[in-house]
Amino acid sequence: MAPISLEQVNKSYPNGFHAVHDFALDVAEGELMVLVGPSGCGKTTVLRMVAGLEDITSGTLTFGNRVVNDLSPRERDVAMVFQSYALYPHMTVAENIGFSLSLHKMPKAEIAAKVNEAAVILGLSEWLDRKPAQLSGGQRQRVAMGRAIVREPSVFLMDEPLSNLDAKLRVQMRAEVSRIQRRIGVATMYVTHDQVEAMTMGDRVAVMRTGRLQQVAPPQVLYDRPDNVFVAAFIGSPAMNLYRAELAEDAQTVRLGSQTLRITDEVRHSRPALVAYAGKRLVVGFRPEDLPAVDAEMPAADSQDLEGDVTLVEALGSDLLVHFTIDAARVQPEDVQEDAAGLESGELVVAGEGIARVDPRVEIQVGKRTRFRLSPSRLHFFDLESESAIW
Amino acid sequence: MIDTSVPVQQNLPRAGGHRFLATIKPPRVALNVLLLVVALLWLMPTITLAIISLRPESLYQVSGWWKILTAPSQFTFSNYSQLFSQGLAAGGLLDSLVTSLEITVPATLLVTLLSSLAAYSIVFGRWRGRTAVFLGVVGLMVVPVQVALLPVVQLYRAFGSLTGFNPYGTIEGVVIFHVAFGLPFGIFLMRNFYVGIPLDLVEAARIDGAGEVKLFRRLIVPLGMPAVASLLIFQFIWVWNDLLVALVFLGGYPHTPLTLFLYGQTRALGENYWIISTGGMISIIVPLIVFFSFQRYFVRGMLAGAVK
Amino acid sequence: MAILEAPSDQLADVVPAPRHRPWWRHTSSLLFLVPATIWLLAIVIYPVFATIRYSLFDETASHFVGLSNFKTLFTSDDLLVAFRNNIIWVVIFPFFVTFFGLVFAVLTERIGWATVFKTIIVMPIVFSTTASALVWAEIFTNSQPQIGAVNAFLETVSDWFNPPGLYPISSSAGQTVAGLASYGLHPGASNTLLSSSTVHPGGVVRLGMVGIVPTTLQTLGAEQAHLPNAASGVVSGVVWRDFSPTSSNLTTPQAGEDGLPDMRLALVSSAGAQLASTSTDAHGTFQFTGVQPGTYHVEVAASNFGSGFAGVNWLGSQSLTPTGGAGQTAQALFSVPLIDMSMIIAYLWIWAGFAMVILAAGLASIDRAVLEATRIDGATELQTFRRVTMPLLAPVLTVVFVTMVINVLKIFDIVINMAPGSSQQQANTLALSIYNDGFTSGIHTGLASAIAVVLFVLVVPAMLWNLKKLKASGY
Repeated sequence: MAPISLEQVNKSYPNGFHAVHDFALDVAEGELMVLVGPSGCGKTTVLRMVAGLEDITSGTLTFGNRVVNDLSPRERDVAMVFQSYALYPHMTVAENIGFSLSLHKMPKAEIAAKVNEAAVILGLSEWLDRKPAQLSGGQRQRVAMGRAIVREPSVFLMDEPLSNLDAKLRVQMRAEVSRIQRRIGVATMYVTHDQVEAMTMGDRVAVMRTGRLQQVAPPQVLYDRPDNVFVAAFIGSPAMNLYRAELAEDAQTVRLGSQTLRITDEVRHSRPALVAYAGKRLVVGFRPEDLPAVDAEMPAADSQDLEGDVTLVEALGSDLLVHFTIDAARVQPEDVQEDAAGLESGELVVAGEGIARVDPRVEIQVGKRTRFRLSPSRLHFFDLESESAIW
Repeated sequence: MIDTSVPVQQNLPRAGGHRFLATIKPPRVALNVLLLVVALLWLMPTITLAIISLRPESLYQVSGWWKILTAPSQFTFSNYSQLFSQGLAAGGLLDSLVTSLEITVPATLLVTLLSSLAAYSIVFGRWRGRTAVFLGVVGLMVVPVQVALLPVVQLYRAFGSLTGFNPYGTIEGVVIFHVAFGLPFGIFLMRNFYVGIPLDLVEAARIDGAGEVKLFRRLIVPLGMPAVASLLIFQFIWVWNDLLVALVFLGGYPHTPLTLFLYGQTRALGENYWIISTGGMISIIVPLIVFFSFQRYFVRGMLAGAVK
Repeated sequence: MAILEAPSDQLADVVPAPRHRPWWRHTSSLLFLVPATIWLLAIVIYPVFATIRYSLFDETASHFVGLSNFKTLFTSDDLLVAFRNNIIWVVIFPFFVTFFGLVFAVLTERIGWATVFKTIIVMPIVFSTTASALVWAEIFTNSQPQIGAVNAFLETVSDWFNPPGLYPISSSAGQTVAGLASYGLHPGASNTLLSSSTVHPGGVVRLGMVGIVPTTLQTLGAEQAHLPNAASGVVSGVVWRDFSPTSSNLTTPQAGEDGLPDMRLALVSSAGAQLASTSTDAHGTFQFTGVQPGTYHVEVAASNFGSGFAGVNWLGSQSLTPTGGAGQTAQALFSVPLIDMSMIIAYLWIWAGFAMVILAAGLASIDRAVLEATRIDGATELQTFRRVTMPLLAPVLTVVFVTMVINVLKIFDIVINMAPGSSQQQANTLALSIYNDGFTSGIHTGLASAIAVVLFVLVVPAMLWNLKKLKASGY
């Protein structure tokens, strides 16, 4: 039995808002399950239902073999780290960490021992007598972690625990949280809107959008084989380039604006469903890192070249981000766009913009038409209507 | 405190010195003088009371209290020594002081406890209609005490004939009444403070395993202490200074709180000026001590509930 | 994912979910509300309805009388007085207390000892109104300048401009200047006395007066009066206390009759022009020298009898508005007794600190950057205050004002404690009459309840305003 199991869980509010639809997810023993998605996607609601802070409208939540739908947080034996840390301001670090134990009437000496143990793991031993107000952001974060791990809970929940830290500390704590989670080996649900956190920390990642689960998979699978346009666009930075395209009648080529890309047999074999789209319109996608720029003189091998007009070059040191335009309509799920840049946009952005991640030693000139090498095996195909991946 | 933030150079006169002169503003001097006069005027009634209580009663109808300024020999503690020699004799001033405390302390503690509980329920409870209940409480804040006096007297009588204990004329009766009329403001004050407590903290405590009672006792009460302090002070001063409720429920009964005692003395034939002046002083000293000890919380409470 | 799925044979172990969660799961915190609810229902909410019911019944609360209590309420002069006073309080007090509070709040921002000042101003709030009223009754003590501070102060100021004479008459005791004339004197214009007969140079005038207390003479060092000798070109004479227990001769000074010293006199021509002035010596004698031949009168100056400041009856019910000749009801409605003003001053002393604290907090919450921007835009301090500070402060001013209106509608303690029995009737308020009618001589349950209902109705707009404000603030 999975330590955490959600079956057909729904959440709707009295005002009619349906926050979570038919959510189903199992978290395995010791697994760190990351829930990721744009803000408002329902990921925090799911976590709060698991914690017992929100009622479950319908569906079943089981911990092991216990249905816990109707249990209060107290009875569920869960620990949770809040985004704000929610440290008790009137208690010292030691009292904060030991609070739940004292509520469960554990003897004082035992509490002290457990608190000290947790403090050692978290490097908080020196600060046990301080109040939260006297601690730095990173230390507060550790106290919040300590408060959760000291309980040896059966379920461990974290709600954007790193989002209040500055960028540098966040990277450091990311690794530390993973380390601690592995050490205590408890089924963990971790909510974040940061896909880097999701990819680096999650054993598996559950991507959510508007209350619905989009895909649950290990990070690499999510990256390599996104189930739909949304996941494809949401995972990866910069986001996958997605365009409207049309598959030729013979399914040998795909037309992308005025350019035609060849589809190899290998690609067709690995995606048997693709043939059904012969002569139809679909969505084609490729990641910026799959688009190395090439000299115009280099001959085309089995790969296809894509030509685009360079509009902007951003140097990252390790790479160049080359912005270009082609004459195909770009596809962009709206909530991804909003989350990423705060821009308003419709379902479709007509300008055919794209980004390539290029070797910094290649010379790129703004305003010049440039060729990018594109391996057909790295192409992603999606249904235009359902937005599901075509495999 | 030493302010090290301002470099000394900035305060020195610049070349020509006219800047230095510009800092001396005649209106500023005038303003200080004006406010000093206002402050003295405001202190005068208190000083009046204090000095009257420190002059011999025989001089009271002969000359004004300010004569003590030119005749310091008039200064005497005789009124107070007479007062304390009376001791706690029934019907005396010190007896009234005790009665005032007997009414004020329980009424204050009860209001604070019940208000905190009710506000907790309104803010952190998960039942429906919390907003409506809160608005109702706000509405009750301005109900005049006078509206309830007659029916409550009847209610006490009815309760008396039912149970054999008639709260009318007893300290308990006054306390019950004060608690009821202190609750709306108390709930309002506590609720407005609790609303500011991050919900995350409450949820964290629930997850840590706290039930409602422990949540209240170990998290909300400690965090709500500043508001509790404000409420305690406000309620204390309000009940301590009440005359109307005491007059209605205790008039003619043996227990007289200080205000009622003073009122009775001023209405008595052949006024006892010495006891009125010393009684007045004693009646203001207690709230003054409370005020000066917790001034910050008093002002905060005033700001939080500028309606009563 | 497959490996994580539970083998189907384990499904049997799943504990079924209870169909309904226990009702108290969400409502356990409702228990916390129970004590307060019971209390409020029994002692606040039920009584409001009971009072409404009582107001429709007679004094024994047994017979339904409809609105007749309300009719009494609006027709009895006594209660109209109470209404009138409530209106006076509401019109005057909230405005002034807000004004004082604002002035103090603004001015204290500019002094270094603001905390001390604020503490002094706020302090009276914590005193019982009973004690405060008691002190202010002292300060305003009636007609006894030597005790009441306000009258004593006014006396000092008055003496400065209008010093009392050496022989003040007590008009409150019915004394008149004319009544002082005994022999050779008759009343002149505006409280002077004039010699009855004309005098010529070389003549001797005898002016006898009565009604002067012996202690006055003692203080002034008076001695036996005697007639001065006549001399040519000189008008001489004596002013004496024409009262001897042993002699009934009123025309000349007798043994034991003292002169009136330091009496200010003037020589007046037959046309009425003052020609010379002098004053008497210890024996009461005087002389005007170098008088041209002619006929004259001797005038005893009015300043001899000036009584100085008599004291204002601050706690009396004399009206500030002219209502003489008006009917009783009109008087009840339109007179403004002085005691109301005295009580309002005392109440200002109590509450100005409250207004100041709230307004000072309002001022402090105004964004400094906005004020600085106004300065940079070229506004003077006064313009900044009028055009920026005041509009931003308007909501806080309203809060203070409304709070004070509610407070004053219920005004009770100050009136019952500060108004002496003689003027309490004219200082009556609704809240006080509820107490008087409901709980003192002859209990009028119905009428007292009707007044209470009216009082309640009067605070309802304030209640609604509160709720509206709260809703607007998003709770």
